[in-house]
Amino acid sequence: MDETTPPANSATDRQSIDVDIACVGFGPAMGGFLTTLARELIRDDGTPAGESSVMPGLPPQIVCYERAADVSFGVSGVATRSRALRASLTEADLAQIPMATPIKSEKVLYLLDPHGASRRSWLLRAADVFIRAFRRVLPFAHDALNLPYIPPFLRKDPGWILSMGQFNQWVGSRVMSSGLVQIWPGTPVAEPLFEDNRVAGVRLVDQGTDKQGRADAGFMPGMDIRAALTVVGDGPFGPIGRQLDQRFGMPEGHRQHDWAVGMKFVVDLREDSGLEPGAVIHTFGYPEPEIFGFLYVHPKRIASLGVFVPSWFDSPVRTAYRYLQHWMLHPYLFRHLEGATLRSWGAKTLGESGRRGEPRLVGHGYARVGEGSGSTNVLTGSGVDEAWETGVLLAHGVLDLLRAGRPFTKENLEEVYIRRRRRSWIEREGRIAEKSRDGFQRGFVSGVIGMALAGFTKGRVVIPGEPAPSHERLPAIEEYFKGRVSSEEIRSIREDCAARGVSLHDALMDRVGWPAIPFDGKLLVTHQDALLLGGKVQAPAGYADHVVFLYPHLCESCGTRICIEMCSGQAITPGPRGVPYFDREKCVHCGACVWNCAQAHPDDPARANIEFRAGTGGLHSSEN
Amino acid sequence: MESILCLLHTESNGALARPALEALTAAKTLAADLGDAMVDVGLIGADVQAAADVIAPCGARRFLGAAGPELGEPRYATDAAAAEALIRASGATLVVAPQTSRVARVAGGVARRLGGSADTHITGLQVEKGALKIARWYYRQRMEATLSRLKRPWILVVDSGCVKPWEGAPGKARVEPVSVELTEAARRSRFLGVQEPPADEQTIRPEAELLFVAGAGWTKKQADGHTHVPDAEKLILEFLKRTQASLGGSKSLVDISGEGQAVLHFMTHLNQIGQTGATPRHPKGLATCCHGEEPHTVGWRFVNERRAVNRDPSCGWARGKADVLYVADAFEVMEKVNALLAKQD
Amino acid sequence: MSVQYQIFVCGGIVPDPLQTLDPVTAPAGPALKNEMMLPAVLDPFAWHALFEAARLARSSPGSKIYLVSLAPKAKLQQVMMSVAQKAVFDLVVIDGPASGFTDSNAVAAALSEAIQSVPGLDMNRLLVFGGWESASRGSGTTLQAVGEILGITDQFQGVDDLRIESDGSFRILERIDGGKHQVSTCAGAPAVLGWATGNLPEPPNNPQIGMTNMRGIMPALQKARPAKLNAQDLSYTSVTLPKQQRETRVVDKLSAEEIAREIAEWIKKS
Repeated sequence: MDETTPPANSATDRQSIDVDIACVGFGPAMGGFLTTLARELIRDDGTPAGESSVMPGLPPQIVCYERAADVSFGVSGVATRSRALRASLTEADLAQIPMATPIKSEKVLYLLDPHGASRRSWLLRAADVFIRAFRRVLPFAHDALNLPYIPPFLRKDPGWILSMGQFNQWVGSRVMSSGLVQIWPGTPVAEPLFEDNRVAGVRLVDQGTDKQGRADAGFMPGMDIRAALTVVGDGPFGPIGRQLDQRFGMPEGHRQHDWAVGMKFVVDLREDSGLEPGAVIHTFGYPEPEIFGFLYVHPKRIASLGVFVPSWFDSPVRTAYRYLQHWMLHPYLFRHLEGATLRSWGAKTLGESGRRGEPRLVGHGYARVGEGSGSTNVLTGSGVDEAWETGVLLAHGVLDLLRAGRPFTKENLEEVYIRRRRRSWIEREGRIAEKSRDGFQRGFVSGVIGMALAGFTKGRVVIPGEPAPSHERLPAIEEYFKGRVSSEEIRSIREDCAARGVSLHDALMDRVGWPAIPFDGKLLVTHQDALLLGGKVQAPAGYADHVVFLYPHLCESCGTRICIEMCSGQAITPGPRGVPYFDREKCVHCGACVWNCAQAHPDDPARANIEFRAGTGGLHSSEN
Repeated sequence: MESILCLLHTESNGALARPALEALTAAKTLAADLGDAMVDVGLIGADVQAAADVIAPCGARRFLGAAGPELGEPRYATDAAAAEALIRASGATLVVAPQTSRVARVAGGVARRLGGSADTHITGLQVEKGALKIARWYYRQRMEATLSRLKRPWILVVDSGCVKPWEGAPGKARVEPVSVELTEAARRSRFLGVQEPPADEQTIRPEAELLFVAGAGWTKKQADGHTHVPDAEKLILEFLKRTQASLGGSKSLVDISGEGQAVLHFMTHLNQIGQTGATPRHPKGLATCCHGEEPHTVGWRFVNERRAVNRDPSCGWARGKADVLYVADAFEVMEKVNALLAKQD
Repeated sequence: MSVQYQIFVCGGIVPDPLQTLDPVTAPAGPALKNEMMLPAVLDPFAWHALFEAARLARSSPGSKIYLVSLAPKAKLQQVMMSVAQKAVFDLVVIDGPASGFTDSNAVAAALSEAIQSVPGLDMNRLLVFGGWESASRGSGTTLQAVGEILGITDQFQGVDDLRIESDGSFRILERIDGGKHQVSTCAGAPAVLGWATGNLPEPPNNPQIGMTNMRGIMPALQKARPAKLNAQDLSYTSVTLPKQQRETRVVDKLSAEEIAREIAEWIKKS
C-alpha cells in the first residue's frame, strides 16, 4: 500500500486549497459539531477563539462537504428523546422546525400475520395461537396486540418527532448564517489524503467523467482540500470512514456485521385518520417477525412511517419496499392509513452494531463522529440524539485545542475528545446496549428476550450470539424456501425474472402466499413511482458510477444476487452473464448493496465484492 | 368601456400565420363577450396590405399598419417601437396578440413602455359581469390561474391552439399607415436570417397532427443485454418520415447527451417535452420508452389523444395519463407500425 | 483589447423540479403549499444564463458577474450552497417572495433598482442576462421590462448562443417558432439576453470559487434590502391543479402485430 496519497500537482491539473478544518458529511453529528463550534468560536468580546493557520488574522476556516445535492436530503425516522438536542437548542428552537412536534403518546404493537404468509417459528406460532385464543382479555384488536407496558429503555417520551430533512435544513441554515462555516452540498469526498500515518485532508471526487470515471468533457480532477483536522461524519457506510477503517483497522474485538435498511414514507393522512400529532407507534412481528415498523405523526396530518429490514433476517430475497407495502396494509395500521397520499419516500442503511462497531475514533489529523463512529444505541433504537452529542463533544475538544494553540495530533484528540466521550452518557448507555441484540442471531424470540434482559439488567445479562457478515450467513434461495417452493420452480422463476430484468422477491413472495398489492396510485404505488414521486430521485451527469462490482466473476457465480433484491431504488437489476447492472439515476445511496453482498472480497473477508464509492445524486426530498 | 387592438405581424412572405388568425378569433370573441367592443387590427411587417386584405371582412373597425423594410425583420427595437405606435394610435385598452417568438420578445417591454401590463401564454379569455379574466398556467403547466388586471393597456398574448383560426373570404382592406419613429439606436441590432436544420433532419413540426415522444428507454440496454441505438434511430426517423409527426424527447433522453452515452443524434434540447421543456398542442401524441411520470406528462397537458407504448404495465401512463397504454416492446411495435405505414403508402 | 463587461444575471429561485406542488391561498394572494420547506434551485434558464456569463467572463478578462436575485434570503442562502461553486460572482440580494404569482412588472422594478444601485455601473459595458422564461411564472416579460427601465432596446429572448466577433459585435442565436434559430447581430453592450438552455454543460463544482464567493455572499445576504413590490394591478380569482385524469385502457394481451395495426389505424384516423 502507498504510504502517502500522491500530491496535487500541475501534471494532473489537480488543484489544492488549504483550510483549517475539513468536514465530511452533513448530518446530525456534523450539525452538533458545527453548531457548537460556530457558537463558541467567537468570544464574548467578538474576537475569534482561535486563529486560522492558513489565513492568519481570520477565524479558523471551516468547510463541510456533503455528497447529497442539498443538506435537507437526509433520511431518518426520528422520534427522539432529544436530550442532546435540547441541551444545544431550546424547545422554542425545535418548535420552529417544520414538521417538529413533541411526543404525546407511545404504543408498541405486536402485529400478527393476517395472511399466514410470513415465516414464523413454531414458538411464535404458538404465541400467536395463544394471543388469538385470549383476545377478549388481552389488549388485542385488528390483528395486533398493544403491549400494555413499554419498558423505560424503549420509551421516547419526553422527546420530539422530527423530519431529518427539515431538521438538517434548519441546522444547516443556522450554521451557515454564522458566517464561520461553509457547507457545500453536491460535493462528494472521494478519499482521505494520507501522509504516512496522518490524515492531511480530503480529496473530492473527479468531475466531468464518464460512468467508468474516465475523463470526459469538462473534466476536472477532484480538488485536494488540505486541512489540519478532518472530521468524518459520513454515516454508517461512508466511503471516507471505510477507507480509514481499511487503512488503520478496527480496534480489537470491534466489528460491523449488523445492519438494517430503513425505508420510509411521509404521507398526508386523511382528515379522519384517527391519529393525533405527537403519536408514536412502534411495531414488530409483521410482515416478517424480524421486521420492525414505526409510525410517527407530525402536525398538519402528516405522518412518517416505515420499516427496518435487518441483516439478521436471513432471507436471500429480502426486500424493503414490498414488505413496507404489506406492513402499511396490516389491518391495525391500514384503518389509519387508508386514503393517505404519498408525499415523500426514502431509504437508508442503519449501522446496527452500535458500540461494538466503534472504529478508531481519532488519529493524527482526524476524528470521527456520528453513526459511523459507533454511537447508535441498538437497545433503545436511538441514533440521532447520540450522533448530535458526539459532534458536540468533539467541538468542545477542538475548541480546547484551538484556544490552547495545540495541534490536532492523535494524542491531543484522545485527550480532548475520547476522554469526553468515555465519560458521556453515550458511552454508558452504549455499553449497556452493546450485546443486547445478540440474541437475534439465534432467532427472533430469543432476540426479543435478549433485548428485554439486557434492558432490565443494564446489560449485565444478555443472550449471546455472534453476528456474522451476509456472505457467511445467508442461505441459498433453494434452502430458504425448502418445503415451500421446489428447486425446479425456483429455477423457472429465476429464468423468467432474468428475462424480464426484474428481481426475484415479488415472484417468490407471490408464490408463498403474499397477496397482491392493490395499487391505488396514492399510497400504494409502484416502486418506481415511489422513487420519482416520493423520493424525487435524480443524478447529475459527469460523475463516475459509485457502485462497482469489483470481481465480476464472483457475481457470475453468485447464487443469490441479493444486491438486486435488496436495492432500495431498483437501481441494481439483472445484467448480462449474471453481473448486475447499475443505474446511477435510480440510486438513493442507501448502501444496502454493500452489506447485503453475498460474496466476500477475495483479499479481505471483512469486505464484500461491491464497493460503494463517493457519488452524487439520490433523493431530492427534504421531508424524510 | 374596453376597446381592443388585435396586434399581428406578417411572416417573411407577407402572409399571416395560423397563430395570428387564432389571435384574431380570440380578439373578436372577446369583443363580443364584452358587448360589442370595438376591434382594431394592427399589423406589423415590411408590407402589410396583402395580409390586411386576407382578413378584410373580419369586422375590424380599422386596419392600422406599421410597415417598412425594417419592420419586416424581427428585432426588439423596431418591433417594440411599431407595437407601441400601433397601440397608441388605436387607443385600445386591451391588446390581443399571438404567442409567436416575435411578439413574445417585445410584449413585456412594450407594456412597460406604455405603463400597462402584459400576460403571455394565455389559454383562455373570460368575461364575467363585463370584466375580463384570463386563464394561464404557472409553474410549468402544473397549475392554472385565472386573474384580472387594473392597468391598461393590457397586452394579452394568446397561446396557439386554444381557439380556431379566423376564416373568411379575402377582401380589400383600407390600411391606415401608422408612422414609426426609428432612431439610430434602433438599428444597433440587425436580423441576419434564420438557421434551420436540413429538411430531412427537421423534426419539430408545430403544425403536425401527431407528436411522437421518445424516452430514454430507446438508448438503454434491451432484453439481450445490449443497446441498439442505431436501430432506434432508424425506426424513429422512418416513422417521422412516413407520418410527418413532430418529435419530442423526455428530459432524461435529452440529458443523456451530457453523459457521453450513445444518443439519438437528431435529439436536442429543442425537442424536450415536459416540465423543463415544451408544452406543444398536437391533437395526438404517441409516447414510446418513457415512463409517463408527472414531470414529463405536464408537457402533454394540451395533447388531446394520448397513447403510449411501454414494457411496464404499471408505468405512469397506466394511471390516467394516457388513453391507451400498450404493454409491449417499442422496438418490435414500431418496426411493425413502419411496415404497415409503408404498405398504406 | 476586449471589453470588460458588467454582466448582471437576473435569476430567482424555484422549487426543485420534481417536487409536488400544491397551490394555497395566503393573505397576500396565491402561494405554494409548504413553499419554505421545499428544496429550491436557481431558476433553470437563469442557471444556464449564469454558465454563459461565466464563459463570457472567462473570454473577456476583467469582466465581472453580478447575480441579482429576488428571493426569501433564508432560502436563497440554501440555494447559494449549490450555485456558488459554479462561477465567480457578486450576489445582489433583494429579500422578497420567489413566488411565480408575483407580478413580473413589480419584479422588474425591484431588479432594475438593484442593478442601478451597484456602484460603478457603466451602460457601455452592461449586459443583462437571465432566463427567457422562469419556471415559476413562465411569462418571459420580466427581463424585457428590466431592459426598458434601464433604457436598453437591444433585447434577445430564447438565446442559445452568443459569440463575440472580432469587432466587438455580438452574433446571437435565438430560438424561434418551429425549432428554428434566428440569427442576429448587435453592435455591443448594452444588451438584454434572455437565455434558453444554451449549449454549455453544467460547470463542475469548484471549491476554490465557492470559498471565495461565499465570503461575499454571506454579507450580501445579511444586508439584503426588503423588496418593495407594488402588486395592486393584479388580482387572482383562482389557482387550481388540473384534474385531467383519463380512463386508461391497458392493452397487455395483444401481440406486437395487433398493437402495430391499432396504432397505424389510429394515426391515419383524422
